[in-house]
Amino acid sequence: MSYEDRANARPNLNDESDVEEEALVNDYREQVNFDDSMSELDRTTSLGGSQAQDLQAQLAAAATPLEYQATLETKFASYDNYCSLFHYILNSEGPVDLEVPSYYWAWDVIDEFIYQFESFCRYRNRVARTGSNEEEAQLLRENPNTWGCYSVLNVLYSLIQRSQINEQLAAIKRGEDPAAFAGEYGSRPLYKMLGYFSIIGLLRVHCLLGDFSLALKTLDDIEMNKKAMFARVMAAHFTTYYYVGFSYMMQRRYADAIRMFSHILVYVSRTKNFQKGGNNYDAIAKKNDQMYALIAICVALHPTRLDDTIHSAVREKYGEQFHRMQRGGPEALPVFEELFRSSCPKFISPTPPDFENPAYNVDPVDHQTSIFMDEVKNTIFNPTIRSYLKLYTTMDLKKLAGFLEVQPEQLRSWLLVNKQRSRQIRWVEGSLLEGDSVVANDLDYALENDLIHVSETKAGRRLVDWYLRNLARVY
Amino acid sequence: MVAFDKCETRPAHIDAILNGLDRYNPETTTVFQDYVAQQCEDRTFDIYANLAVLKLYQFNPHLLQADTVTNVLVKALTVFPSPAFSLCLSLLPAHTQPFSTTPEAQAAAQNSDFVESVQKLARLSTLLESAQYTQFWSTLNSDDLYADLTADAAGFEELVRIRIAVEVGKAFRSVSTESLEQWLDLRSGEALEKFVTDVCGWKIDGSVVNVPTNKENEVRSEVKSERVGVDMFGRVIRRGFEQAA
Repeated sequence: MSYEDRANARPNLNDESDVEEEALVNDYREQVNFDDSMSELDRTTSLGGSQAQDLQAQLAAAATPLEYQATLETKFASYDNYCSLFHYILNSEGPVDLEVPSYYWAWDVIDEFIYQFESFCRYRNRVARTGSNEEEAQLLRENPNTWGCYSVLNVLYSLIQRSQINEQLAAIKRGEDPAAFAGEYGSRPLYKMLGYFSIIGLLRVHCLLGDFSLALKTLDDIEMNKKAMFARVMAAHFTTYYYVGFSYMMQRRYADAIRMFSHILVYVSRTKNFQKGGNNYDAIAKKNDQMYALIAICVALHPTRLDDTIHSAVREKYGEQFHRMQRGGPEALPVFEELFRSSCPKFISPTPPDFENPAYNVDPVDHQTSIFMDEVKNTIFNPTIRSYLKLYTTMDLKKLAGFLEVQPEQLRSWLLVNKQRSRQIRWVEGSLLEGDSVVANDLDYALENDLIHVSETKAGRRLVDWYLRNLARVY
Repeated sequence: MVAFDKCETRPAHIDAILNGLDRYNPETTTVFQDYVAQQCEDRTFDIYANLAVLKLYQFNPHLLQADTVTNVLVKALTVFPSPAFSLCLSLLPAHTQPFSTTPEAQAAAQNSDFVESVQKLARLSTLLESAQYTQFWSTLNSDDLYADLTADAAGFEELVRIRIAVEVGKAFRSVSTESLEQWLDLRSGEALEKFVTDVCGWKIDGSVVNVPTNKENEVRSEVKSERVGVDMFGRVIRRGFEQAA
């Protein structure tokens, strides 16, 4: 894909019809007013007796966040609750006859399930690292299998397989009727929804474990557009784009990461009015800011023109940091690190920590941060190089090295690095892991011995675009 | 461009495991380990499969084979510049602290050969990714441990040398033999000449090596004009019809 295609690809970012957008907005309005889901659930279930009562309590609990200060016992109990609930749903004789009120319940269950897994793993690691609470350490040591990674993955994969959701989604992609592939379980909303959101859940779990390519692979059968089922639940929509964008970023596919973050942030900025007062407003607002920070990082590493709304929001929220990262140089490193730490997912280690050697249990967030920062360090002089080369069409390497006060050999390395990083894999079509290598920079150069030949690809004036946009205003 | 999860040299039985739930089955660890050994032997590279074995180790730390991990890392070095190496590191235990220079990290390296190996290889990766090729070779030759670590990967040095040459060829139209000698660690003029003419197909002219023009090093300035397609006018034309009616 050439520079030209890229320049033209941008304006088409938001070309899905307004009708669709409107439908989503209405949907979202519905969600915000959707507070008493559980009472509705009571009315619609057909089961009777105390067993049903019990089940209702379990269903409600599964979708409800634990208290912030929940004790370890509560966390263990919550795990058992999930186990028995999923066991009931998955291993009863035939599909369970349960009416679920809406998409939101299924999303909440999966979301909360993974959140508790994540916070449990982090808590366990912290207890081992600080060695502060011997009693809890003992309890954790005795229960190594609680919230085990295999059982969590097992639940998600089982829900996906039972519902045959991947087969259904593949059928939709081919333009066939998904019902023909749904089977006994997958034709029921309960299984279909749980299965679907388990795919999003897997994306998140893989990302938390640092497996960024497998995270993207998980979404093979899901099409990333506003028609997708996840788009019907605001939190799911949001979560999906955050983790996909982040996974791209960790694979150095910054253009794709920016595309993902921009897409969802533009959408959120349009639906802002409906968020206020929503019960997950705070969580969304926080993720929102995190994504702006990640966009700032990606643009600093891969200069590109942003959507106007996004660009002004980034400047408003992270103006000073954004500027420092774009300027590069060693002074910018702490800014990169700070923003990365505050915006990355809370990475986890899936296995029980080493309680005997506290120093052994390094925080996984530190681990991933140092890996990311190595790449930032390697490329930190790219902005310097670019800002100088922009000024010349030919330049002697030794002279430039003199300006920059570095050895010529050092400058050659920087030039090679900048050249390499201006080539990037970028998605064109197909699954998320596919892509073509593109020139991702309008500034290019080649060296003839010590003579640097610089070329710049300039975008011509976009008269037709300008004309059409103004026409749309009045006609 | 081949998708990240595909690999032309991947055998069918590995592909089957990767696409099913068996990729999590600890019993497949040995299959993957053999596959890593095979990649080392026949100079192929399958990052997606190698990440799967690291994932198995992540879930089952007791199965971790230090040799396989370091071989996976060494193979990932041969495909720079690419995120392959850092993606591998992301799946390793956090206590390996690949890039840390704190006293704790150094102590960890002293207590464990495995941690030390990972940190040493991470250093090599940094040098390659930051295009400090001369330092890469001097570091590689500075410690016998490197020779041990890279011993399993057949043709490691040659593979790296070729990668360096490819990257240099993208940025240079001509380069001094002096620089190239250091970057490729081919200190005798004879060896250099043989390599650049036989392997790269470049020409030596006195003290300068000329790289033939390729897509990356030709560099032309141009003005890209706007793309205009009929579809862009869809709305205007539709509107015209609506108005008329």
